[in-house]
Amino acid sequence: MINRYRWWEYLLIYLGMAVLLIFILAPFLEAFLVSLRPLDSLFSVPYRFVSDHMSFKAYVTMWQSVPLLWRYMLNSFFVAGSVTVLGLIAIIPAAYAFSRFEFRGRGLLMGAFLSVNMVSGAVLIIPLYKVMQSLGLLNSYISMIAPGVAFVIPTGIWLLRSYLVKIPKELEEAALVDGAGRLYILVRVIIPVALPGIMVVAITTFIAAYAQQFLYALTFNSVNELNPLPVGLYQFFGRQKVVWNELMAASLIGIIPVMLLYVFLQKFIVAGLTSGAVKE
Amino acid sequence: MGQLKMTEVRKTYGTMEVIKGVSLDIAHGEFVVFVGPSGCGKSTLLRMIAGLEEISGGEVAIDGTRVNDLPPVKRGISMVFQSYALYPHMSVYENIAFPLRVSKMPKAELDARVRRASSILKLDERLRHKPGQLSGGQRQRVAIGRSIVRDPQVFLFDEPLSNLDAALRAEMRVELSKLHGELDATMIYVTHDQVEAMTMADRIVVLDGGRISQVGSPLELYHKPANVFVAGFIGNPKMNFLPVTCLGADATGVTVELPGAGRLTLPVSPRDGIAGQALTLGIRPEHLSAEGGDLRLSLMPKVIERLGMQTVAYATHGEEETAFNAILPGSAPARAGTPLSLGLSAADCHLFDAEGQAFERHVALSALDPALMMAASEAG
Ligand SMILES: Nc1ncnc2c1ncn2[C@@H]1O[C@H](COP(=O)(O)OP(=O)(O)O)[C@@H](O)[C@H]1O
Ligand SMILES: [Mg+2]
Repeated sequence: MINRYRWWEYLLIYLGMAVLLIFILAPFLEAFLVSLRPLDSLFSVPYRFVSDHMSFKAYVTMWQSVPLLWRYMLNSFFVAGSVTVLGLIAIIPAAYAFSRFEFRGRGLLMGAFLSVNMVSGAVLIIPLYKVMQSLGLLNSYISMIAPGVAFVIPTGIWLLRSYLVKIPKELEEAALVDGAGRLYILVRVIIPVALPGIMVVAITTFIAAYAQQFLYALTFNSVNELNPLPVGLYQFFGRQKVVWNELMAASLIGIIPVMLLYVFLQKFIVAGLTSGAVKE
Repeated sequence: MGQLKMTEVRKTYGTMEVIKGVSLDIAHGEFVVFVGPSGCGKSTLLRMIAGLEEISGGEVAIDGTRVNDLPPVKRGISMVFQSYALYPHMSVYENIAFPLRVSKMPKAELDARVRRASSILKLDERLRHKPGQLSGGQRQRVAIGRSIVRDPQVFLFDEPLSNLDAALRAEMRVELSKLHGELDATMIYVTHDQVEAMTMADRIVVLDGGRISQVGSPLELYHKPANVFVAGFIGNPKMNFLPVTCLGADATGVTVELPGAGRLTLPVSPRDGIAGQALTLGIRPEHLSAEGGDLRLSLMPKVIERLGMQTVAYATHGEEETAFNAILPGSAPARAGTPLSLGLSAADCHLFDAEGQAFERHVALSALDPALMMAASEAG
């Protein structure tokens, strides 16, 4: 296909991208600049983005002002990781079933999952609190993980199902003819072939879980040691002042595990992994 | 042994009947080809034999055992798909070994079997590669390799060569025929390509709208098509049909009148009370000749294709401009737009009644049986 734009079309496209990127990246840049500046110069009037005596000191002192910072980061990672793993254990077989089997109520069930998708966790937070309380699960990791898992499953199923329906039926039929059972086919054929799709789901699930946990932790947990990073960051809010530079430094460091995971998982999203399977 | 028997097999999707009662016996070691136009139910029939499609009615038996409710692997069949259906994440070795891994075969025997299959299919050099690194022909060979490691009794092929280019297809046809000789197994092969059917089959099953139209050896179908459908399907370009009127019949044959061309007595078995009926005469393009013949026809060529070895004339006949094609020698002086007079012999003609059923032709057996053909030519 010939796909040539005129110069002003290019200009518009790049302008659009630039605006979008500025919106997304500006907060990161500002957070980074704030983390480098001494606390006293943060409130200068007029506001300045750059000031004297910029240093990485906050990245050292934050570990002393909030001694449990590493623990919060680990908690965040642990909670989001658990949500992802548990979520996938439910999502993969469910999405496979939805993509392959005709059964009564399939459409209804898919619709139900979609509508659950539309309700955010925040709406259900009070009833959920009641449930957690009566189950005696408050102040535990489970209280943060369980609702997280519940809310990532519908999205995950929809995402993965659309990937699985594109895997040719013949691949399974060939395995079936060769004597493989459904579970064997799922583990040895479908999951490896669907790996790129599963990784996409894993990444979106992890990010969603990472973002969600703030709400659940704030509501269901009051044990300091179990708090994830977003809640732990409140420790930087002192009695008199907020330690903004350390807060920003901690936020940025808290993002790093997510970025690392992203880079690591992205390797698996190889385009054309299915090439050579069938000829369309 | 790979003996297969189908009795009144039917398949319905909802209210639509796709296979309308197929009965067929296939002997061990036969190479049977199901052929027919797209959508006639070939794949469905094959998939019912494989166990991938439920059988709505009738019975499929392999070696005398009813297999209607058995899973594919218990039927002793293996299948090769048109789209290859290779596992993209596994090496060629693992693809071929897959059925053996499923059955948990000991390592040493598994290795021996995979090596044997790969050497038969000339894939030894490729065992470490992934399917994505192979050419179309190699991929199809891997798919065939995967189907032969289990030593099945019946091989099922669903248009395995359709995705290959013409040269490779011709090559693979020969290889498949060779493989059939080496393996001593029954093969059932589905194709819409009559050349594949004619070249590979011991017996051809022509399907038409979910019914068997005719079963026979390739030459039998060519010389004695049972009806208009088979006559039109086998042969390329297809047989020409002309409406004729029956004048009468006796022991030597049936005499018909071709409108505007004359009379002809065809050597076919007569039936009672056909005088005066409207019949259809069939003549293959390759049976028309520039000179001689019992009757001459005037055609108007529209397009001339010169293939070197022969010339194909796409022409029309008569006032109604019925399509009428002829195959002539390579140097035939035919030109588009210039009327052409061609001769035909009564012995080459086919005759069909109003329902499209053929009158039995008097054809020498030596024309039908390759073995007799050889004997005849040696004697003569
Ligand atoms: N799953 C199905 N549901 C409904 N109709 C089907 C299904 N599979 C095949 N058919 C119909 O059955 C007929 C035969 O199909 P098929 O066996 O694939 O034909 P062929 O292989 O000869 O081209 C077609 O008309 C097709 O539309
Ligand atoms: Mg088909």
